Amino acid sequence: MFRTTLQRTVPCIRLVVAPGQFRLNSNAPAPPSKLEVFIDDKKVLVDPGTTVLQAAALAGVEIPRFCYHERLAVAGNCRMCLVEVERSPKPVAACAMPVMNGWKIKTNSELTRKAREGVMEFLLMNHPLDCPICDQGGECDLQDQSMAFGSDRSRFVDIDYSGKRAVEDKDIGPLVKTIMTRCIHCTRCIRFASEVAGVDDLGTTGRGSDMQVGTYIEKMFLSELSGNVIDLCPVGALTSKPYSFSARPWETRKTDSVDVLDALGSNIVVSTRAGDVMRILPRLNEDINEEWLSDKSRFSYDGLKRQRLITPLVKDNKGNLVPVEWEDALVATSRALINANGNIVGVSGGLSDAESMIALKDLLNRLGSEQLYTEEPFPMTGSGTDFRSSYILNSSISGLEQADLVLLIGTNPRYEAPLLNTRIRKSYVHNDLEIALLGPKVDLSYDYEYLGESPAILKDLAEKRHAFYAKLSKAKRPVIILGAQQFEREDGAILLAQAQQLSQELNKNADKGWKILNVLQQVAGQVAALDLGYKPYNNLPAAKVLYLLGADNESLTKCKPAGTTVIYQGHHGDAGAAIADIVLPGAAYTEKQATYVNTEGRAQQTLMAVQPPGMARSDWKIIRAISEFVGVKLPYDTLNEVRDRLTDVCPSMTRYGDLEPANYLVQASDLAKDLSSQTVSTPLNVKQITLEDFYMTDSISRSSPTMAKCIQAVRKQKESKYYESRA
Amino acid sequence: MAAREASKCATKIVRPLLSSDKSEAKKRVLNLYKTYYRQIPLMLFDRHLPVSKEECQIKLKEEFLKNKHITDVRVIDMLVIKGQMLLQEIVTKWAQDCHIMTLFKDTVEPKPNDFLSKFVNNNDSQ
Amino acid sequence: MSIRIITRAIQRLSTVRTGTRTPTYFKLMTRAESTTVVPKQKFDSVTEQYLGFGNFVAECLPKYIQKIQISSKNELELLIAPEGVLPVFHFLKNQTNCQFANLSDLCAVDVPQRSNRFEIVYNLLSLRFNTRIRVKTYTDELTPIDSITSIYEAANWYEREIWDMFGVFFTNHPDLRRILTDYGFEGHPFRKDFPLSGYVEVRYDDEKKRVVVEPLEMSQEFRRFELSTPWEQFPNFRSASPTTEEVVSADKEKK
Repeated sequence: MFRTTLQRTVPCIRLVVAPGQFRLNSNAPAPPSKLEVFIDDKKVLVDPGTTVLQAAALAGVEIPRFCYHERLAVAGNCRMCLVEVERSPKPVAACAMPVMNGWKIKTNSELTRKAREGVMEFLLMNHPLDCPICDQGGECDLQDQSMAFGSDRSRFVDIDYSGKRAVEDKDIGPLVKTIMTRCIHCTRCIRFASEVAGVDDLGTTGRGSDMQVGTYIEKMFLSELSGNVIDLCPVGALTSKPYSFSARPWETRKTDSVDVLDALGSNIVVSTRAGDVMRILPRLNEDINEEWLSDKSRFSYDGLKRQRLITPLVKDNKGNLVPVEWEDALVATSRALINANGNIVGVSGGLSDAESMIALKDLLNRLGSEQLYTEEPFPMTGSGTDFRSSYILNSSISGLEQADLVLLIGTNPRYEAPLLNTRIRKSYVHNDLEIALLGPKVDLSYDYEYLGESPAILKDLAEKRHAFYAKLSKAKRPVIILGAQQFEREDGAILLAQAQQLSQELNKNADKGWKILNVLQQVAGQVAALDLGYKPYNNLPAAKVLYLLGADNESLTKCKPAGTTVIYQGHHGDAGAAIADIVLPGAAYTEKQATYVNTEGRAQQTLMAVQPPGMARSDWKIIRAISEFVGVKLPYDTLNEVRDRLTDVCPSMTRYGDLEPANYLVQASDLAKDLSSQTVSTPLNVKQITLEDFYMTDSISRSSPTMAKCIQAVRKQKESKYYESRA
Repeated sequence: MAAREASKCATKIVRPLLSSDKSEAKKRVLNLYKTYYRQIPLMLFDRHLPVSKEECQIKLKEEFLKNKHITDVRVIDMLVIKGQMLLQEIVTKWAQDCHIMTLFKDTVEPKPNDFLSKFVNNNDSQ
Repeated sequence: MSIRIITRAIQRLSTVRTGTRTPTYFKLMTRAESTTVVPKQKFDSVTEQYLGFGNFVAECLPKYIQKIQISSKNELELLIAPEGVLPVFHFLKNQTNCQFANLSDLCAVDVPQRSNRFEIVYNLLSLRFNTRIRVKTYTDELTPIDSITSIYEAANWYEREIWDMFGVFFTNHPDLRRILTDYGFEGHPFRKDFPLSGYVEVRYDDEKKRVVVEPLEMSQEFRRFELSTPWEQFPNFRSASPTTEEVVSADKEKK
């Protein structure tokens, strides 16, 4: 597959990656001493194999470029990075040329400037002058660099003869808009698709001025990461379709935040204008998402404007939900809570933040109830949720790059956590990582050894009977990733116990301190909930009041228990609100400052980018207000006071950005020993198998029209005669 | 020279605004207060203000006591200067009735302070 | 033309002074520490004439002139100590070789980062020599500046404006009161820490039959724009000239 072709076509790929970015192979030759180069007469010491461009970056000089990108293979086709090297007859392309000892590089000499101006002139000759109607305007590399390095005159006079180059636009799906006339053929999108996303959909046809970037045949760019080509495109050839013509970058306000639509907690920037979320962009975080973002996180923001609960609702005597004022809703809620006499069950949903969960826990505890559950299940047998290491991704996302073997059990990381999958793929491409899959056969965008879908294989592995065990036991840094959705099965506990047993076996031969067992959570709120002492929802006891904190789970909401008052607090009118007697409108993740803990146990916070719509309020405030009506006033009035309380319960939860590791894997395994000998027969299954399952997984993406269009497009693509399933 | 620089840093000699010491500043404040106090009946005689003499006196006292924590002589002087300016505006009738009534803030609704009324009334979260 | 006259005058002045007795300005020179005398540098002829004149003023008033600089638009600027406002302007107005009889503008600049946050800028015009000069001094919120109304009548309203907009107090001003803001207005709107929207809003109250002032409440979000230029990402390749020509001081050169 790609791995071989890359190595053949770009033999120096390993030399040109930035130092420290990838782990060098252990069999690489010992690095010789540093090279001495001079950037504009400034001396820099660099490792051999460093390119001119990287050496200049070390000296603090940024060389203009279009095609070069740190995370992609070097193409060297835009020629913008030409610089003069002393005693070299021609200017050299800085992005592709490794430095030699003693080179004197001039990044701002007459020759360099002339070379840049020439390249710029050729690029602009075939580029339309449509900046005023181009969505890239204001954040366009071509615009910026032509201001800095281009000429202020045009010599283009061919307009009466052959005219400017024009290229037909391509239709590559509902997310990426193409205006191919603007393309400058940097091939970043092509390299991203084949290297990072692992879909060889994009490529070039023709040559010279007839060269075109496209999909060869008319088809959709089928990837869960397609939105990233918008950020990568240095010009306005690939722009965002949902965002088109809606805002300019200089008029939006940017708020740093965290994504909650999968369990990874990708860092994002929310661009807002006049109280509206205009778009969501990724924010650089090397430990989590690098600089990528999945399409669901990037494009489902229009779901934040639809199906929203904007006013409190209370059921009248005819059984209809009617809008009421906050006072009435709070009175109705408190009456229900007081009448329940402590017989209350609280269930927190996948999008709940830590602040509201601690507030709900405190409130219910004060009312005499200990029944607080999370929407997602987790086996309570064995050690249960006592050890944090049993439910988090212990080896961390960036730690996967160090792994030499990954065993995926009952999960499809490509759609459950797309950016975790890109990490595995990155390791697969650069570090010869081997991957094995146990579960339904899916397209992971890289090759893997398929072990089957019977859970009995896991038992065989744990008991060293399976053929693959030989390979596993040889691995120095093996990783087992167990999908948390398997815990929804009756026998989830057995699977966990067997995985624990297997990881203990592998531990004997693995590097010291290397953590093998990982659980990949489904939702953003689960780790925080378990950290705070919520019990996983397995079987719900009957109660007088059911308090749903954003919980929309199907099994929870499909039938309303008789005689139970259901209070739903959340931001979307989804399944939970449909069965509720009282609805309290909460804030979505872009509308509150709130804490989330991602699947690797890293606490992060979202910031308030816009005001909650209508009468909606931050979730912890609603619970705090209820507590005053019920008569058990919670002792916090401000966010900082809630966070003090959070720190009391779980100190790691307010150390934002830090990874909080856990290490009780041995103990957890010991406690589950008697379970692992049991046999399970039902084949493993995962919820998200193909791309169309990826787009709608929670209340926000379910109400997003863009996501609906994506699903339609994927289905239409499947009917195409050129479609081939790769699973 | 170095010693002089050092002493310059240690004791900053400032130029006085009006008063050279605290007692002088205090005198100025009291004088201003008295002048205002005597002006109140004249002011009410000249204008049709919907407030009584007592209310004006209470307001006057309140406005002066608002700044009673200030000890810096120059800040006191600056406030006295601004007070004199307003007094001049009142005496010369440059300031109209509405300008004087702004001091009473009788149309301003008090902002909610406790958690619940803030929660119910405004959307200004966090 | 006019500059040439001034320089000639200076030359005449210095030839007289090199005569019999030690000139007084020389004595002053030895006492002053902060005075800057501009050494000969590479400048074009007009700038050189400006500097010559600046040096002349600095030599005459060494105690008060702290720095001479040429702005990017080739204008002479004198930076003076706030204590020297009266003597400097008296000199500039009445000295035969200056005769800056016209105060064309007087304004202030607020730079909150500085300890003396206000810069007071005087722009003078000499009709006799058809030349202009800019004088700058500094102060903070509480230090008063001497009013120059005794020298320039025109300063009266300008100083009132600065008092109103920035809150800088001018001593010995004949009529220092507000000039632009409404009676009863609180705060100084040109200070950088004064919000663009202000603190209060004004409306006519039908019930009270008068205009009432209430705390500002914004129903719509205040729009802010990202104003950093996008091509700042290549600062290495920017070669804009600085706004003012830094002139190397004589004592620094000695060191």
